[in-house]
Amino acid sequence: MPSILAVIEPGPPPVLPAGAIDPLLVTLLLVLPIAGFALTALIGRRLYARGWIIAVPAIVVTWLIGMFIVYQALFAGAYGPGLRFTLYEWIPAGDFRVSFNLLVDSLTAVLLIVVTTVGMLVHVYSIGYMAHDPGRWRFFAYLNLFMFSMLLLVLADNFLLLFAAWELVGLSSYLLIGFWYRRRTAALAAKKAFLVNRVGDFGFALGIMAVWTTVGTLNFAEVFEFFGPGGGVAGLEHWMVVGIALLLFTGAVGKSAQFPLHVWLPDAMEGPTPVSALIHAATMVNAGVYFVARANPIFAQAPEAMVVIAAVGIFTAILAASIAFTQRDIKRVLAYSTLSQLGYMFAALGVGAFTAAIFHLMTHGFFKGLLFLGSGSVIHAVHEEQDMNRMGALWRRIPITHWTMLVGAIAIAGIPPLAGFWSKDEILAESFLFGFYWVWAIGVVVAVMTGFYMFRLMGKTFYGKSNVDPHVEPKIHESPRSMTVPLILLAIPSALLGLAIGLPPADGVLHHWLEPVFHTATADILGREHHQFQLLGIDGVLLLIGAAAGATGVAAGIWLFGLFHRGQRTEHVESLTERLRPLYRASYAKWYFDELNDLIFVRFGGLVARAIWWFDVRVVDGAVNGIASFTQGAGRGIRTIQTGRVQNYALGIALGLLVIAVMYLFVVAR
Amino acid sequence: MALPQTIPLLGWAWDDLLFLLLAGIMLGSAIFVVIGRDIVRSGLSMILAFAALAGIYVLAGAVIVAAAQVLIYIGAISVLILFAIMLTQTKAGPAELVFHRQAWAGALAAFGVAILLIISIINTDWPLRVAERLWSSTTDIALLLFGDALYVLALQVIAVLLTAAVVGGVFLAKREDEPDPGERQRANLDRLLPPPEAERP
Amino acid sequence: MSHSLEAYLILSALLFSIGTFGFLARRNAIAMLMSIELMLNAVNLAVIAFGAFTPQLQGHAALIALLVMAVAAAEATVGLAIVIAIYRNRRTALVDEFSSMRE
Repeated sequence: MPSILAVIEPGPPPVLPAGAIDPLLVTLLLVLPIAGFALTALIGRRLYARGWIIAVPAIVVTWLIGMFIVYQALFAGAYGPGLRFTLYEWIPAGDFRVSFNLLVDSLTAVLLIVVTTVGMLVHVYSIGYMAHDPGRWRFFAYLNLFMFSMLLLVLADNFLLLFAAWELVGLSSYLLIGFWYRRRTAALAAKKAFLVNRVGDFGFALGIMAVWTTVGTLNFAEVFEFFGPGGGVAGLEHWMVVGIALLLFTGAVGKSAQFPLHVWLPDAMEGPTPVSALIHAATMVNAGVYFVARANPIFAQAPEAMVVIAAVGIFTAILAASIAFTQRDIKRVLAYSTLSQLGYMFAALGVGAFTAAIFHLMTHGFFKGLLFLGSGSVIHAVHEEQDMNRMGALWRRIPITHWTMLVGAIAIAGIPPLAGFWSKDEILAESFLFGFYWVWAIGVVVAVMTGFYMFRLMGKTFYGKSNVDPHVEPKIHESPRSMTVPLILLAIPSALLGLAIGLPPADGVLHHWLEPVFHTATADILGREHHQFQLLGIDGVLLLIGAAAGATGVAAGIWLFGLFHRGQRTEHVESLTERLRPLYRASYAKWYFDELNDLIFVRFGGLVARAIWWFDVRVVDGAVNGIASFTQGAGRGIRTIQTGRVQNYALGIALGLLVIAVMYLFVVAR
Repeated sequence: MALPQTIPLLGWAWDDLLFLLLAGIMLGSAIFVVIGRDIVRSGLSMILAFAALAGIYVLAGAVIVAAAQVLIYIGAISVLILFAIMLTQTKAGPAELVFHRQAWAGALAAFGVAILLIISIINTDWPLRVAERLWSSTTDIALLLFGDALYVLALQVIAVLLTAAVVGGVFLAKREDEPDPGERQRANLDRLLPPPEAERP
Repeated sequence: MSHSLEAYLILSALLFSIGTFGFLARRNAIAMLMSIELMLNAVNLAVIAFGAFTPQLQGHAALIALLVMAVAAAEATVGLAIVIAIYRNRRTALVDEFSSMRE
């Protein structure tokens, strides 16, 4: 099946050789957002309604430069295996040398597409969404800071720089989640996000330290050569390699909200919707996936770690999907959906289907971004109401939002020929073909669940009869163009991206782009041969099963919750809920995971902390204070010798003389 | 009548008896000095102690020193002490506490010193023993004092010391509120002449 | 007995310890000074005793005793002057009142 691109473009694309201008452009990619942040932070307060005037154009220019670099890297092939350059020597400390070096290869370029495009659209969307917020200049400043951090993360060429960008991304996330800082829930959610991320970062840092002690350098090129076939990794004990891989994975677990560090992502919905769209759907949470994909030689050398990754991923997928069944807040459903799709991506990484994971990352970035921005538009329309039970019958009132969200819902449910189908199916097929049958089976179940809860969301929000608050009802209106245009722009790749770069499956344009990046892992270390797609063989069967699973879920969702005019079958929904009451309650309470964390870390940890505090105050401080008071007491006692009277002193002299004389006579002279 | 060689009943030499007697008087009056309640009586018994001590010096053959003892100690120092006692007597009289609370520790220390010294003295093998008493001769002392370089220096130093002590004692003990002649004259002048007009309030 | 050095020395030791006791125990400053005089006299007695039993030292011993007496006189003078001066200010001659140098 030829790729669509081959139809559009008649010949080989013109090659602009990678000259001196490309490193400059890449540097500009970083400089523009950070300059935007600095300028907006400095003078933003005085810009009032035009708080976006510095930030948004900066990001638009960044997008243009990004697209040029992507063209150079992917289409023109001007960078060869990768454009590497160093800006300056960051840490020259004897044996430990770290430079500020950047890398642009095909993986970077693919990520750049997602990051810059979704980033730019979110910036434009925010002009309308935050139009009434007095702190919008702060919002745009933070968004720019986030863009800088994320771009640095995907451009970094050594572990330490990536880690620095990792932390910066976490910081931006904290600032943006807690943007409405006066709300207690928002501040708590931001703190929770940061703390849970920190747990993952701790393992990550340990992993980086382990890499440095074993390899001696932190640059990606040298490290991956070390871990490649024939590299120095043969000298390492196997448990060490597995340990390093697992430690590095914990960072990804934290940043990409996999089980058990998934608890922060749903709470992060306290932030404004553009933030949820950008950070918690399209970019930041993908950092973990990107990192594991980037470090694929390390992981390929530790098959046990990869099994762990796959298990964690697919378990998160099904756990999150089960929670999304019962949530009432529209953004929470989408958040758990993100968790679930991220689980898919990690499952793909775990079975060794790196390209499939990146493919799903791309498609998911677009349609999840679309869904979030769309939900923001819905919320805006019903005047900040987020409970789906108080929506309904909106499809006529806010048509653009509705139709674009419908495209997104179909895409995520995995219905062909939209993008989500191709990427999800490739993940499932590769897990089956590589022998991970359990991953495939659970993945199919999750596909069914995904279709179901997405159309539950659509049914409750848009279809049937209206449950909207009567006061708000007349005021429902479509969002301004600054908000709807990005929705339309995002719907296009959600629909067509799969067809564009994913066909034929396992052999499409994307696979050709990413093949050199993952070649070492898949071909050399794992020994997998390239599998040709056979529609009439096992691949076709798997394709069919995947499509059927998605369709089943969608059908069930539509039957229960309605489509267009027909509303939800309330009596069936209620009876189902009644019969599964305990499951329903547990799912609604996120399987009591937050309570478990509270019990272990807050209650029990609090006890431990209090015990140690007691020890510190009583024993440690007590010892120090005890020495002081002992000295004081001793001094007070000894001071009484100083009576000021000559005769007392004379008595002391006489007694001392006696003692010395006795000692001399009876001890020394003997 | 010549005294018999030894004491008739005891068989001691006369010297020994004299020694014992003088020693007893001296120690007894010394003890009364330190424990006597009335300080005047203490002073007087100190004089008695000095006198007995002078007698012992004679027995030891140091006649010059005995004479000096009487002259200096009894004649000068004791008088000085008695004058000082009279000048510092309080109205309360000798009724207050004589000893400190530390007197018991002091007694212990003194007792210890005594025991220590006596044990040392007894256990030392003194290679000195003479059969008869030696009398010191004034000429010898004079020659030593004025002819020997060491003692001439000592003599001069003592002279300076005594001068300084006397001057210092006079200065320390004089009354402080007595105006010097110049001051007294000015005080009288102020009394006799009227103050200037401007200073009147 | 008067022919043995030890007797004189023991006598001197006893006198010295009596003087020590008086110095440490009496409250009146002048009584302390009297005890000091007793101690000095004990020293004198010891010196004279050594001189009496050593022919070549006899003149020296006498001289030393005389010098010690002179020093004792000077010291008594100054000490008593101080006591009188303090008595003028404090109206008391009891040494346990003189404790301004206490801690």
